[in-house]
Amino acid sequence: MRKVVLLILCLVFVFTGAIGLLAQDKLKAGFIYVGPIGDMGWTHAHDQARKICENTFPWLETVYQESVPEGKVEGVIDRMIRRERCDVVFTTSFGFWEGTIAAAKKYPDKVFAHCSGFMRTPNCATYMADFYQVYYLNGLMAGALTKSNKVGYVGAFPIPEVKRHIDAFTLGVLEVNPRAEVHVRWIEAWFDPAKAKEATNSLIDAGCDVFAFTEDSDTVVQVAAENRLPSFGHYSPMYNSAPDYIVSGQLVHWELFYLDFLAKVYAGYYTSKNLENVDYWGLLKEGAAELGPKFGMPINPKWKSRLGKTNDLVLERLKQMQNPQMIFDPFTGPIYDRNGKMVVGRGERADYGHLLSIEYAVKGVVGAWPGEPK
Amino acid sequence: MLRLKIEKRLTPTWKVVFSVTVLSIFLAFFVIGFIFLGYGINPVKAYIEILIETVGNFYGITQILWQSIPLLLCGVGLLLAFKASFWNIGAEGQLLMGSLGATWAALFSGLPDFLLIPMIFILGFAGGAIWGLVSTVLKAKFKVNEVITTLMMNYIAMNIILYLIHGPWKGEEMKGFAYTNSFPQPAWLPTLGMSYIHWPTLIMGLVAVAVIYLIISRTKLGYEVKVIGQSQKAAKYAGISYFQTIFWVMLISGGCAGLAGAGEVAGVHHMLRHPDQISLGYGYTGIIVAWLARGNPIVTILTSLLFGAIYVAGDVMQLSFGLPFQIVNVFTGMILFFLISSDHLMRYKISFRREE
Repeated sequence: MRKVVLLILCLVFVFTGAIGLLAQDKLKAGFIYVGPIGDMGWTHAHDQARKICENTFPWLETVYQESVPEGKVEGVIDRMIRRERCDVVFTTSFGFWEGTIAAAKKYPDKVFAHCSGFMRTPNCATYMADFYQVYYLNGLMAGALTKSNKVGYVGAFPIPEVKRHIDAFTLGVLEVNPRAEVHVRWIEAWFDPAKAKEATNSLIDAGCDVFAFTEDSDTVVQVAAENRLPSFGHYSPMYNSAPDYIVSGQLVHWELFYLDFLAKVYAGYYTSKNLENVDYWGLLKEGAAELGPKFGMPINPKWKSRLGKTNDLVLERLKQMQNPQMIFDPFTGPIYDRNGKMVVGRGERADYGHLLSIEYAVKGVVGAWPGEPK
Repeated sequence: MLRLKIEKRLTPTWKVVFSVTVLSIFLAFFVIGFIFLGYGINPVKAYIEILIETVGNFYGITQILWQSIPLLLCGVGLLLAFKASFWNIGAEGQLLMGSLGATWAALFSGLPDFLLIPMIFILGFAGGAIWGLVSTVLKAKFKVNEVITTLMMNYIAMNIILYLIHGPWKGEEMKGFAYTNSFPQPAWLPTLGMSYIHWPTLIMGLVAVAVIYLIISRTKLGYEVKVIGQSQKAAKYAGISYFQTIFWVMLISGGCAGLAGAGEVAGVHHMLRHPDQISLGYGYTGIIVAWLARGNPIVTILTSLLFGAIYVAGDVMQLSFGLPFQIVNVFTGMILFFLISSDHLMRYKISFRREE
């Protein structure tokens, strides 16, 4: 008799468990953005990926809030979880880390993922798609195109991420053109078309004739084109802003991360207990980054002849970095900083930790560099 | 025949002020309703949702209170300055310098734990006061227009903070990002229960309201402030020292903004970060908070809560209806538009009279 009761109890448990699983066939994800989704960069790219996810997974529902100030992120998470009943929350800016980690502790059974951060908890993963390899490829082209031997770079904030990109870009420029310099101007904003314009004009006055940048609008491309000078797009397809003057650029595929992560959460592979070591780092070989002024066009055909041999070099290096073994990487020694100190030894390759904490400016960088190591 | 008659009201009664204000807010809501319609959202449903999420539940109320803390401190300080016709547009910069003083106290003063929080507020007050007094001296001694100097001092304060977080104060814990290190735990302001309300700053705000009310209504300084506010020349003939009076006014006004900054870094951020993130324009919104209070410090409690509610309603609209964040500014802009244009309704009486 006892056994029968136990058996029935077991069956009941299994069934209710199964019903519970069936009832949980919807997943709701909240996205917290640092900028406006109408920018042409970072936030726009994340929002495109959100839309792709929503169209791909019938079981997925999403909400978002844009232009969230850093100090307010915890309140927005509260509302996403309490009112909107989100299961997963993505916070897409480094500055959100404090609020994200605090919220992860407050809601231990929800799943969080924080973009570009380094702090993780059992229910908070980190993820990042990085462009340094693409910047290097753009640098190769910029080095080939400059006639004045001065390349201009408009930088957002002097932080390791942007410094890494400028360094990689400069490595490319100097590989093709050892006499060239990369002139840098900081604008202290992720999105500020007015300052970006001012900075570009100042670089033009300094004699620069090719431009790359980190800022979430197409201002630099437009200002360069008005002066009939070539430039490289950033983050979004900017081909249409200046079809004659844009050479190439960096493009991102955030959906690769979001699709993978959400599918795994849905399948129960990622839970609120096992994210302590989940850190996505997407480069060219993962397909997270792409070279080109628009998707599917690595180099603007109008510039192919001007690039000459460099065109083939870029495509070869691109292939090498897309190789799953990553046969080539721009941060391979010997690399010297601009004070002459060796920062990556001969034959060595900079590792993940090194790349994430770059503070130095490589040889060839000209201009202010806050936080430069002595 | 009916004739429209417009008469001037000498001093509008509180009843008139209140009813006109409420009416103009309702008119603003009515117009904003069309924006909701444009987005295909039923405005009635939208307002119900906004009401529930702002004043309709406990969480919403704590959010409003939390949001109104810096607005109250900035607003009440500005009100005192405006009373003396000293047009302080620099609460933003004074707030930032307050946050700077507080950060120094929290990270670099090396004081024992129990002294940290008092020191944060003292240096916060001092930071804001000193910043405000620079413009005071320029105005009183060299007749430099205070609107220009206080405004410009905002940008100087911003850039000083930028310099510090990129340079000498950049935290090693932050992997190269431009933030100072997190404050040590004893320097975090306590919060009320599960909410984010850092109550010591809230109490400071209420104390500031009481003190400024007493100054204006009960003290010699308050009398002098009012005379100077009405006419500087009259004050001079009455033997009131312009510099001395304005000195005390701006010490308090700047200090209040500084306290708000100290509260923000020690109660919300727990670090010094980009100035745009520390103050979401609180110093500028404070101007409207003070203006709407119409010279009565006690009313700043209401007006700061109103703007706290508008901020929170903006968040709700974005998240629940997917409205773009710019709409929030349209929303606040509309409310201000109606409030400010209602000013004339308060000062003039409109009546219809039958004429034979």
